Amino acid sequence: MSLPIAELVPPHIRAFEAYVPSKPDPELMRAYKVDHLHRLNNNENALGPPPAAARILAGFETPRASIYPSGDCYTLRQALGERFGKDPERFLVGNGSCEVIASVIKAFCDKGDNIVTADKTFAVYEWVAEFSGFQARLIPLKDYGYDDMGMLRAMDGRTKILFVCNPNNPTGTWWDRDRMERFLRVVDGRAIVVLDEAYREYVDDERFPDGMELMERHPNVVVFRTFSKMYALAGLRVGYVCGQKEVVDYIRRTHIVYSVNILGQPAAAAALMDDAEHIPATRAMVARAKELLLPAFDELGLEHVSGAGNFVMVRTPVSDSLIYRQLMRRGVMVRTMTGFRFPNWIRVSLVQEPVMRDFLTAFRDVIALSRSDGQP
Amino acid sequence: MPASHPQSLMVELPPDVAFLPAAAAAAENAAQVFGLDRSGALKLALAVEEFFSYLCRYAGREEPLRLTLSHGGTFVRMAFRFRAGEVSLRALNFAASVDVEGGGDSAHEEHDAELGLLVASRTTDRCSLESSGAGVYVLLAEVDRQYPEAEPLRSEQVLSGPVRVANPDGAPASEGQLRHAALLAAGRYPARSCPASFHRPARFADMVAYGQYHALLASDAAGRPAGLICWRGSGPRSVVFSGPYVFDANPDHTLAKETARLLTERFLAAVARTEPVCAFSERPTADVPEGWFESLGTLTLRGLTAEGDEGGEPETQAALFRHLREDVGGAVWAHPDMVPFLERQYDRLAFSRDILTTEERPIQRAPEHSLLATSFDRRRGLAILRPLLDGQDFAANLAAHVAALEEQAPEGQPGGAMPDILLHLDLSEPWQAALYPAISACGFQPRLILPHAGSSDLLVCQHVPANR
Ligand SMILES: Cc1ncc(COP(=O)(O)O)c(C=O)c1O
Repeated sequence: MSLPIAELVPPHIRAFEAYVPSKPDPELMRAYKVDHLHRLNNNENALGPPPAAARILAGFETPRASIYPSGDCYTLRQALGERFGKDPERFLVGNGSCEVIASVIKAFCDKGDNIVTADKTFAVYEWVAEFSGFQARLIPLKDYGYDDMGMLRAMDGRTKILFVCNPNNPTGTWWDRDRMERFLRVVDGRAIVVLDEAYREYVDDERFPDGMELMERHPNVVVFRTFSKMYALAGLRVGYVCGQKEVVDYIRRTHIVYSVNILGQPAAAAALMDDAEHIPATRAMVARAKELLLPAFDELGLEHVSGAGNFVMVRTPVSDSLIYRQLMRRGVMVRTMTGFRFPNWIRVSLVQEPVMRDFLTAFRDVIALSRSDGQP
Repeated sequence: MPASHPQSLMVELPPDVAFLPAAAAAAENAAQVFGLDRSGALKLALAVEEFFSYLCRYAGREEPLRLTLSHGGTFVRMAFRFRAGEVSLRALNFAASVDVEGGGDSAHEEHDAELGLLVASRTTDRCSLESSGAGVYVLLAEVDRQYPEAEPLRSEQVLSGPVRVANPDGAPASEGQLRHAALLAAGRYPARSCPASFHRPARFADMVAYGQYHALLASDAAGRPAGLICWRGSGPRSVVFSGPYVFDANPDHTLAKETARLLTERFLAAVARTEPVCAFSERPTADVPEGWFESLGTLTLRGLTAEGDEGGEPETQAALFRHLREDVGGAVWAHPDMVPFLERQYDRLAFSRDILTTEERPIQRAPEHSLLATSFDRRRGLAILRPLLDGQDFAANLAAHVAALEEQAPEGQPGGAMPDILLHLDLSEPWQAALYPAISACGFQPRLILPHAGSSDLLVCQHVPANR
């Protein structure tokens, strides 16, 4: 018999899967009996934050921990405004960009509304929509990229938000300016278009459409960015949304204040101001990692997919979760892709060369094992 | 089709036989609203009466008995929630026989009550007991709606490409398509690879309509059914799938392989972002694409090889598995005698598990009577036992179950092959792990582990008859 508590819960929540974060590293190391663990599962930037941000962290005076932070990230928004040449009121900062995903959905969706996104992309758009009781229309990727025509066809009068992950996690594909412009013209302001640019700082290509510029001509465009990826502040949880003032004003009504901590705010602002060397250094690290990994995957005869972003996907001859467990036993943590609807693929974050070499040694081992008897 | 009626009825009854007519009337009424025919409704009402009068006598008296009658789609379920009190539910055992020789008056009364319970459990289609917190139990019984059996379809069709599987967001398969596909699968695949409902295709279609099963259908360029895969939840942590079934006369046909791969991929995409953490199958078909699942081990089953065939050559059957996300590890309970087997298996599978050992059980403290759940699929000649309650008589009770099952010949085959007997131990329960020596002494051997299939992992043991 169900507990009375369960009877209080609406059906869409009962049916919903709670996201189960992985266990802390020491727990995992104990469970898999290893003395080190390379984290290649979350696309973190292994270089660490830019020096100015690192100094803020090192110089943090502990008594300040007892003080509330700015409730609306006042200083950080000033920095963002300055950096992008926009009114600071047009930025809304959250506890990671995941938090602003929820704020946007709450602001625009009502009972019976839907959102449109891809089937094989970052899961949070779909999750937040569904546990809030809104339908998520999931359009299959086409050639590993978002299918613009498919998304447009799926739109109807109740579609409030189109989520485009540009570049896409986990395939690294992105729409160029022309394709984005065409898409926005057809949407024609009928729905909010969210461009999740979590990995945009990894793209070094002038054909990449800049959401910050698009929103000036298309007021329904909203851009998400994060300090978790390129800026290497994932542990402090800072992300933001930017859009036209009117749009952001609506989102603010559903947004939680005081959700960004007192250390994250100045660290993010400092990181933003000190990225001139950090970004090229990170890109170089990623490029070098790709030079190592991609030929090795080819040599092993394994299909792989990568584009923009600090990650690659590789197709495994056996179940991705089996490869995960075998790699864990060798001190390497990757992401299984079944949850991204890419069964038998893993995603590997691109980091410094020595770690990539360790990964390759372990990976070759595991693949050889899987080929010797059909399973390790 | 799912009705617009409320799907359940709940009644709180004081534990007093004076309310027997109220319980029976509620059962009969609900049974009819929920689609049972006259005889089904009577069976359910009878079970409710017998359970109610038994619980009035033996359950805890401090709270009312809560009866829930619910529409399960293809069946109607009754559930009594009660506090344990002095209940002995041994009469719910498949092998229960009630001793007719009574002692004094009170023994006589007890005998009558147990007989009633036995009758009730035999007239329903399934009956089980679940524990719902300390000292609180839920006694469940289900009566199935009746569906006609249909002849499987044997077709020599060769598929023509491209093969398509409807989008998850697209229109669900129609009842007619599901029935057709079930009969094609039943015609092409041995009974052991098919859910029993394929032979009652209207039941299968209803199970899908009511969400007891999920199904994906493939169709070929000519719009003909090309394949089927179906699955259902098994506990909160796993899904069990059957198939993929491919309707092509030539299983080596590239398009047949493509169909199987497409169905498997779509199935995984459909469950990937849901609550279960793993998918497995105890009856995979030969069409499961290579490299997509891990073998948990094999079972050698004597049962039927095809419908109507008498148990032919023993067949080995692989149990397949895959996680749907990263394994975060966990802990299981084990009797020291089980540890070598578990360590070997977990190591082979590269599973991280803490094995916690538990010694002999304190038999004096166990209640007098144990309870085992039995599910018995006559068509497949396969019985699965699960310990529900520990008791001092566990070893004897288990032996009685084995003996009773070995007397059960497959449907329509009196004197035919003996059924295969498996026993599932839930390794999250130390008391179950502690039963291992008794289980082993009764002739069961550990065969494989089903990860996450119970509250944690399940250990599957198989009975090995002494004369083999
Ligand atoms: C596409 C995408 N958007 C958003 C996020 C979330 O980032 P944050 O740490 O800012 O919540 C991620 C993180 O993995 C991501 O991949």
